[in-house]
Amino acid sequence: MTEAITGGGVAVKINEEYCSRCSICRSLCPFEAITKDAEAGKVVLDIEKCQVCGICYSACPARAIDTIYYDLDSLINYLKKAKSKYGSQALIIMCKGSAPDFAEVEGLFGVSNFIPLSVPCVGRISDEMFLKAIEMGISEIYVLACDEDYCRFERGSPLAGRRILALNRLLEQLGYGKEAITLKRNSLKVKVDKDLCISCGNCVFYCPYHAPRLESEEGISVDLDACKGCGLCIVMCPAFALELENWERERISALIPGLLAEMKPPKLLVFRCQWAFFPPLDGKLSPNIRVIDLPCAARVDTIHILGALQKGADGVLVVACSEDDCKQEKAGGKAQRLVAKLNERLSQIGFQDRLHFCSIAPRDPEQWDKELRQFRQKIEAISEGKRK
Amino acid sequence: MIVTALKPLDEILELISPYSHILIAGCDGCTQPPRGIREARTLSQLLELGGKRRGKDFKFKVTTVVKQCDSVLTASALKPQIEGVEAVLSLACGIGPQMAAELFPDIPVLPAQNTHFMGEEKREEGILLENCSACGDCILALTGGICPVTRCAKGLLNGACGGARNGKCEMNPERDCTWELIFERLERLGKLDNIKEFRPPRNYQAKAWRLTP
Repeated sequence: MTEAITGGGVAVKINEEYCSRCSICRSLCPFEAITKDAEAGKVVLDIEKCQVCGICYSACPARAIDTIYYDLDSLINYLKKAKSKYGSQALIIMCKGSAPDFAEVEGLFGVSNFIPLSVPCVGRISDEMFLKAIEMGISEIYVLACDEDYCRFERGSPLAGRRILALNRLLEQLGYGKEAITLKRNSLKVKVDKDLCISCGNCVFYCPYHAPRLESEEGISVDLDACKGCGLCIVMCPAFALELENWERERISALIPGLLAEMKPPKLLVFRCQWAFFPPLDGKLSPNIRVIDLPCAARVDTIHILGALQKGADGVLVVACSEDDCKQEKAGGKAQRLVAKLNERLSQIGFQDRLHFCSIAPRDPEQWDKELRQFRQKIEAISEGKRK
Repeated sequence: MIVTALKPLDEILELISPYSHILIAGCDGCTQPPRGIREARTLSQLLELGGKRRGKDFKFKVTTVVKQCDSVLTASALKPQIEGVEAVLSLACGIGPQMAAELFPDIPVLPAQNTHFMGEEKREEGILLENCSACGDCILALTGGICPVTRCAKGLLNGACGGARNGKCEMNPERDCTWELIFERLERLGKLDNIKEFRPPRNYQAKAWRLTP
């Protein structure tokens, strides 16, 4: 199928033949998706609870866990290609949840040319992967992880920290210097423009974390320690007084024309919660589909949806993660309401069925392919109808 | 706040159809939901898309006013934008378009909103309640902070009427009887004597109150 973004298959599975029954995966899984069957003595994965963080995959000492996303082989393949493409021996591994744009990443580590590797969680990068990279001649490795309490997979960022600490000791003994792998932490948070704030209190009401406060005449103040960067307040702010670092309105707006220009009709623009599905590492997509990442579906903005339709998108798909997986206090539901409201308005001007909302979990790649296929068929039918 | 609802977009498209250059003026004031710069921009995008469908190529400018009910603030926000504008589309309550029309008597000013009432917002439940009708003769001190003029279906000053059943209004069994609510509140406050006080017919002249210079 041309529109398939994932290759399909089972997202994560435990290969019983190799499993040594050590239970490390069970103890690390943040979502209690892995249990031990006391009678049979084996570990069992409940895929319905799995959020495909990859932590178990990275930690299994027996390599008994398989995943279709960013497994060791595809990461190594990516590295091989990227090494010659970027002509660099510096690798920066970034957690999608906390990485600002590449220019800022550059500044953060003081590296001018690097191989970027964005993954849904740095906790899924195994010891082996780090060592393979060094073996391949990567001389500098930098890791940008989220702050520990900001980690979308709860245990991914702390695990990455411990892993790098241990690896650095090992590498030091092997003669690779003291800090062979550099770890930095970063979290993307809300920014307030007090001059634009109209003190309406929308952000105070909508924030799931009680981060904004409206207590004085001076407008809003935000407790940045409480902010988890979902972006809901930004789309609820009627005055454009709030922005989310790296997900600024203008930055997202600026992506739209370029993406639409490289697409072929029917042009389907996808606004994706970063944890709803994982696109392939090489970034190769069908020419009908382009994806704009969001920190959470809650950041989806009517301005951007309408901007895409104005600039020639045939359809816009908003993809939230499944409600059970939501890393942001059920914020996907807010996005669904926003889309429903906007759809009501779009149908008043003859643009019904052009905007679709769905919830997807990365554990179910087939569901995503199905949603995409159905939406495409709907849009094609509309275009057909117009031509007739 | 003032509770408003956006007019159906085809109605707005009809209103603006004779014009090409249109200024959409948001209002940061008390309209609920807030109709500031975001709403102005969203509306411009929707109308542009809808216009294209109808073979019209509208050109929009968008801006917002701190409160469109203030002549000074509205003039200072809109005047710098007005050149070349053929019509103003206001996102304020019914006051806004009237204010703009007064400021720019040669330019048609069109309402984008239907204005409903002065409301109390229960955010958790997502509901807006009409609890005050601006009668100009407030008796809330006597009624435990519950307004019978607005909330009693019959607007009684000396209730209850006797038609309530199980605490519900005989006009609408979904609604609480306002006078029963008042009774309970006064009982709680230890001010049941208030209920005995006769409230004479309201002073309707108060509604004709005007700001005198």
